[in-house]
Amino acid sequence: MKLNVNGRAMSAPAPEETSLLVFLRDFLHLTGTKYGCGEGSCGACTVLIDGRETRSCLVKAASVANQRITTIEGIGGGHLHPVQQAFLDVEAFQCGFCTPGMIVASTALLAGNPAPTRTQVRDRLQGHICRCGAYPRIVEAVLLASRVVRHA
Amino acid sequence: MPDSLSRREALQALGAGAFLFAGAPVRIHPAEDGTFTVYTGKVELGQGSRTELTQAVAEELRVPVARIRLVMGDTGLCPDDGGTYSSLTTPLNVPAIRQAAADYRGGPLTPPSDWKILGTPVSNVRGRDIVTGAYPYPTDLHVDEMLHARVVRAPHYRATLVSLDGPAAGGIIHTGDLIAAMAADPVSAARLAGNVKTQWSPLAFPVNPSDHAALAAWFKANSTPPPENIQPGAKYPPLTRRGDAAKALSAADHRRSSHFWLPYIAHTPMEPRAALAIWKDGAVEIHSGTQTPFPSRAEVAKALDLPESKVRIIAINPGGGFGGKHRADCEIEAARLARIAGKPVKVAWTREEEFTCSYHRPAGLVEIESSVGAHGKLDAWVHRNYNSGAPGLPTPYDTPNVSCEFHRTPAPVRQGPYRSLAAVANVFARESHIDDWAAATRTDPWEFRMHNLTDARLRAVLEELREDKPGQGPSGMACTIEKDARIALRAEVEIEGGTLRLKRFVFVGEYGAIVNPLNLRNQVTGALIMGIGGALFEEVRFDVTTQRTRRLADYRVPRFADIPEIEVHLIDRRDLPSAGAGESAITMTAPAIANAVFAATGQRFTRLPFRIDKLPGKSG
Repeated sequence: MKLNVNGRAMSAPAPEETSLLVFLRDFLHLTGTKYGCGEGSCGACTVLIDGRETRSCLVKAASVANQRITTIEGIGGGHLHPVQQAFLDVEAFQCGFCTPGMIVASTALLAGNPAPTRTQVRDRLQGHICRCGAYPRIVEAVLLASRVVRHA
Repeated sequence: MPDSLSRREALQALGAGAFLFAGAPVRIHPAEDGTFTVYTGKVELGQGSRTELTQAVAEELRVPVARIRLVMGDTGLCPDDGGTYSSLTTPLNVPAIRQAAADYRGGPLTPPSDWKILGTPVSNVRGRDIVTGAYPYPTDLHVDEMLHARVVRAPHYRATLVSLDGPAAGGIIHTGDLIAAMAADPVSAARLAGNVKTQWSPLAFPVNPSDHAALAAWFKANSTPPPENIQPGAKYPPLTRRGDAAKALSAADHRRSSHFWLPYIAHTPMEPRAALAIWKDGAVEIHSGTQTPFPSRAEVAKALDLPESKVRIIAINPGGGFGGKHRADCEIEAARLARIAGKPVKVAWTREEEFTCSYHRPAGLVEIESSVGAHGKLDAWVHRNYNSGAPGLPTPYDTPNVSCEFHRTPAPVRQGPYRSLAAVANVFARESHIDDWAAATRTDPWEFRMHNLTDARLRAVLEELREDKPGQGPSGMACTIEKDARIALRAEVEIEGGTLRLKRFVFVGEYGAIVNPLNLRNQVTGALIMGIGGALFEEVRFDVTTQRTRRLADYRVPRFADIPEIEVHLIDRRDLPSAGAGESAITMTAPAIANAVFAATGQRFTRLPFRIDKLPGKSG
């Protein structure tokens, strides 16, 4: 199986039913994308497929062979993305397990809406769970990143 | 722990920077590049222990935080600092590490008033790895030749195997009560496991854990009262007595009695548990997300009939614990399978296994009987907790006649530690009951509490809470003394069209000398939010043989839309020892919300989670 991940062609032999999440984690060893529930309820496995926020646990790897996949490892293109920097500045995490999914989803949010309101951020991230309860800081981080991106 | 003199002597004897005591592992080890490696048995779960302990060493060694590297939770390298639970890192381990570092420096302990690194908002020392996805969690572990295991389990909570019809192909291990499929990748392991046909004979629960009336009655019928002679200084005394509560109650003119109920709930950490076991020369090394590496080592040794010296647990920061990652179930499975397979084996539980194979926060019944005498003072207080536990039992209020009792019971399902454990139950019950007294005596709830409290620290917290001006609309409050901290919350709510919305939380906490305000705010906020789940949504459901809650879609936890505006006020008391803070704020959420709903509607919630659909259509 061959995929375009973070701008690179990457391949590994994998069973046909392998989900994109498991392919990334257990075949390509890109473990920044996390398994939280396997049914799209938590958002920990979020990646971008052609720029669109997608739950990688619900997608077969074989079905996205011709699309561009971006994971947390590739989101900053070798640097910290402003969203990553903002999560760091605000310390918008505790255990950090939901953080890659939150960050990836937030980059898609800002790409489509560079100046979201607080409510828009909350609504858009409603499908993501942070069990540690860092929600208020996550909203602050996305709003901070939004200001940074607009003034850059 | 040896005293500082013996440490110095050890240092001189060695003529080097490393501390080696008779039988005691190294605590601080210098490197030639000016960095220091520090060893602690504590674990980082997201509560910030790595950063706080790093600060403690940096403070006393007088070096920047960046020059300290912590090795945590490795039973092969680290001293046994106790498990990571009960918010003990800050009150016990930070002082121990400070002392060790001060001894190493050869100077006195830095008083909190002179702190330059402790007490400041130092950022999470691993934050960059967290935001880049490079931070390794137990489920991320991979070693060469590693097999992924998928355990074949009964669909019932408890069952005995009747028949097993495995595929002809290899890869299936059946040893004792453990059946598992193993393969080089998890997809193949799951496929193999799916081909195993099993039949099970289910065992019924002794009482249906979801039949709350039956379970409460069963708890009471099977309960054992606390022993009369309690060790003085017990951390969670199951009995606190003063005066004669029974006599005072029977003589009282104004009495109240109320019952409260909490169901089983699940920790639901974001990362289900996982363990990687590697055998070499008759010894096993297990990498896992345990909160308790040393007790887990003993559990594994016992289960595999090994001496503890042949078991090494290396704790890896898990994606959340909340009291749920104490027991070595997953570790034992990995070790058993790897011994048979002759290769490293990783067991990573699915979300369904995390729900159904882990233990739960105990359900509990709390009964309170009390009386108020002349001048609105509490006179008698009898508080009985059945099954959920002793934490949070002792009342902070000045009451001359008290009997606070934890009655032990058997349990129909596996239960165990949880963030603040029984303090959630006991504080919910106490603060709801106190609120009823305020209403019955036509006293403002804040005034009623102040009228019955002399603890100066808690009074200062309540004074600070009153400084905040609430918005329009109903609100409720709660306060307590927990793990030596003084905390209070006011919840402002809105009830419209039969739905409850949390508008604003104002929290005040005094935790002695604050070790890291950035982390403390994060912990307090997170604990308050976790409390929303227990108050409004969470309950693990069962039928007579089976746990019905098996998927995240079946189990509502707090999400973005549930979160009110939250203000956290912290009182820094550098003159007092630092109190643990990772848990206690969770106890405030349910009673403050319940009391706000009572203020709005006159309806008293006595069971968690609150049945919001029972609210009237319009608030008063």
